[in-house]
Amino acid sequence: MAPSTDWEEIKRLAADFQKAQLSSTAQRLSERNCIEIVTKLIELKLIDVIFTTDGKEYLTSQHLIREIKDELYVHGGRINTVDLAKELNVDLSQICANITEIIKGREVQLVSGYLIAHYYLEKIAREINEKLQLQGQISVGELTLQYDLPAELLQHSVLEKYLGKFIFGKQDVSEPRIFYTEEYIARTKAKIRGALMGLLKPTPIAVIISHCNLTDRLFLSLFDQLKAPGVLTGRQAGALYLPSCYTKSQNDWVMSFYKQNNYLEYDALSRLGISDPKGYVKRLFPNEDLTFLSTCVIGAQIKVQLETALEECISSRSYLDVISLLPSVLSDQDIENVLDALLKNSSRSTILFDNTVFSNHYIENLKQACMPMTQKNAEAVVKSGKYQQFCFEKQMSKATELAPAVHVDHKAERREERRRKAASGKGGGGTQGRETKTKTVKKHARSKQAAHDSDSDDGHNVSKKLQTQLEIVSVEDVENIIKEILENEGLEDLLNRIAEYLQGSLNQTALTIAKETADKLLQDASQNRKQTHVSAQDKINILVNDMKLYEKGLKLLPQDQQASFIKYLLKSLGGDVLGEFCKYAANQCNLSVQVDTLTVEQRNKIINDLTDEFTKPVLALNATLSEQNMELFYQAVDVCLTEFGMILKKIDKKKDKLLILNHREKLISELESCDDPALCLHLAVLAIFTILSQNMLHASGRQVNIIIAFLKSLLKEEDYAKLQYCHELVGKYLTTSDDEEKAEIEDKLKDELSTLKNMVNEIKKYK
Amino acid sequence: MVDESTRKTLSSIPLLQTKAGPRDKELWLNRLKEEYQALIKYVQNNKEADNDWFRLESDKTGTYWFGKCWYVHNLLKYEFDLEFDIPVTYPTTAPELALPGLDGKTAKMYRGGKICLTDHFKPLWARNVPRFGIAHAMALGLGPWLAVEIPDLIEKGVITYQEKSEEADK
Repeated sequence: MAPSTDWEEIKRLAADFQKAQLSSTAQRLSERNCIEIVTKLIELKLIDVIFTTDGKEYLTSQHLIREIKDELYVHGGRINTVDLAKELNVDLSQICANITEIIKGREVQLVSGYLIAHYYLEKIAREINEKLQLQGQISVGELTLQYDLPAELLQHSVLEKYLGKFIFGKQDVSEPRIFYTEEYIARTKAKIRGALMGLLKPTPIAVIISHCNLTDRLFLSLFDQLKAPGVLTGRQAGALYLPSCYTKSQNDWVMSFYKQNNYLEYDALSRLGISDPKGYVKRLFPNEDLTFLSTCVIGAQIKVQLETALEECISSRSYLDVISLLPSVLSDQDIENVLDALLKNSSRSTILFDNTVFSNHYIENLKQACMPMTQKNAEAVVKSGKYQQFCFEKQMSKATELAPAVHVDHKAERREERRRKAASGKGGGGTQGRETKTKTVKKHARSKQAAHDSDSDDGHNVSKKLQTQLEIVSVEDVENIIKEILENEGLEDLLNRIAEYLQGSLNQTALTIAKETADKLLQDASQNRKQTHVSAQDKINILVNDMKLYEKGLKLLPQDQQASFIKYLLKSLGGDVLGEFCKYAANQCNLSVQVDTLTVEQRNKIINDLTDEFTKPVLALNATLSEQNMELFYQAVDVCLTEFGMILKKIDKKKDKLLILNHREKLISELESCDDPALCLHLAVLAIFTILSQNMLHASGRQVNIIIAFLKSLLKEEDYAKLQYCHELVGKYLTTSDDEEKAEIEDKLKDELSTLKNMVNEIKKYK
Repeated sequence: MVDESTRKTLSSIPLLQTKAGPRDKELWLNRLKEEYQALIKYVQNNKEADNDWFRLESDKTGTYWFGKCWYVHNLLKYEFDLEFDIPVTYPTTAPELALPGLDGKTAKMYRGGKICLTDHFKPLWARNVPRFGIAHAMALGLGPWLAVEIPDLIEKGVITYQEKSEEADK
């Protein structure tokens, strides 16, 4: 049976299992036991071993040292202790403890955690040399980075130690941390020399260095050995290299420019790279007589040129455009400075406009050209009265400015004076001598007044103001005249300046002329006034005299008729008297009266315009004209006369007769030459009246019939009839509107006229 | 995961081929034979490595196993009784090893002293059905469990050294 056998087998296996379980375990030291044993041994200090870090191995320190040395060798002579610890699976402290043993031998040193063998240093020395030969230059700093070793070690134990042995190069004298090869030095020198040779303009060192790929120090140390064609401005990195050819050409340019133009512009110099143009020029031309201006330097030659040109200009009486002689670069201010210095000597004979020097003569000529115009303007200004007005205004303004009280006083004084004069005139009884005396006083006062008006020393400031205020000669006037002259010279741009200059002096001249003219005019006026006074007095005398005579005549007429005659007399001759007074007063008050005889309106206007002192008496006189009372009129006239400083001459009886005679003759001669029938009749009637009554009569045409009626008693019948007839005809003639009738009457009248004339002559003879 | 030495031990135990439980009669015999062979090999290996740590025997049917296991800590040997049944569903279900002497003394244990195996054990076992046998369960389950739990229990003073058991063993 298979299963039973199988169970047997199971039993057997179970027995085997038990046997296997019960068999003694192999008595071998397990790892655990070993560790326990070794720990025990170490505890008992029976052995001196070191654990590996995993604790699975033990080694002796001698073995460790050997292993470290081997490891060092494997790594080429340099190994980190930490790496070593990992590599050898030994605790770092154990390694450190044993390293002291290793470095005792001098062949190995411990540098910042690295074990370094001498053969390693030799190796890197060779490497460095290779690199040096390749690069030409090597610095310790670079190597420090590359080898991760302290600079000190590299410097002393590698580079300096093996310099000349393995490393073929040269230590930089100034910088011991840098090493070069000779070829490198030579090459660099050549490079720098090339660069410097090639440079033609000042270049910052930094640019050269960066271009040649050098260090500052090397460049500067090599530069000294190079005998470079140029100089350095400094030893710093920011210094400039100035090639000598540049300096030379700079100097040459400056020299030649100065030689050629005799001036140097600072701008131009700084463009050439000269930082201190003034100092540079001074250095370059130590012996030249230079003038330093704000933008440039000019040499003596220019000044000499200018001077000669100026002299020539003065002597030739022309002008000199300075700009044409000076370099164009000069600023206006410079030109001014130059000219100031230049004109110091000859400023009296020259005038400067803008940059053109004019000799005084030239300007004088221009001025002369303007003189006629000035004269003309001045006269025109005086004539138009503008000047007087201006003077008056000026005085007014001055008076108000200084002290208004003075003005009042002055006025009061004038009035006082006038009153005194009038009083003296009245009191004097009207002798000739007295009259002249008052006149002289008047004249004196007036001339004084005039002098006061335009006195130059009583107000210099006013005369100055006068320049600005009264422009007799305008700039335009001057410009117009001198324009042509200047344009011919090509100086039109100075036209305005010159014109302004001339205008000042011309205006002054014009003012002087105006003053003179005005003075003359004033003198003339006072002369006139004197004459006017006399003539007005004479005229008034004559008129008043005439009126008295006429009055006498009209008294002959019937009483009832007299009023109309008086009225007419006052209206005509009284009006004339008033007119004369008005004219005189107007004259006194500086009112212009153009016409000879004044209309009533004109008279009234003048009266209104008169000053107070004149208005009152004249108004009174005017009032009497319509009063029909001769006495009142005479009284008014008297008041006027005293007020006006005039005198009524005494009536001379003989003279009266003469006057009447003259009047009669005048009437007759007028009648002779008269053709107009009405006028003829009028004249004839008046003549007859005068002849018969030995008195004059002043009558209008209307009053002719009254006179005829009056003459009836004195004339022969026939004469009277004739007159009557004539009068009728004239009346018809004047009233008719029919032309034919008019012509008819005129014919008749003409016949009558001759008889009328004859009648007058006959009456005269008869008488 | 299972530590290095356990893995090594495990790999040296021969794998089984027969998939049969106690109810499978003849096949169970084959299985049992293979179990024994594996156990013998395991024990031999242990002996050779001076790492003998248990005694085990079964009843006649091979469904109930009992014995002892021990653990050396600080040069002292701590010994415990070991027993377990072969479940009917064996080998799909792993045997539940039990240490009745430690019942109630540690949290890593079920009622009746059945040890709580690591999370890894069951999936590992499931993957290796039917190749794993009792020897594997011992090496993979009980061995690590003892190594972890016993020093801890000794530390806590839950179990103390017993002179007698050692002497008996010796």
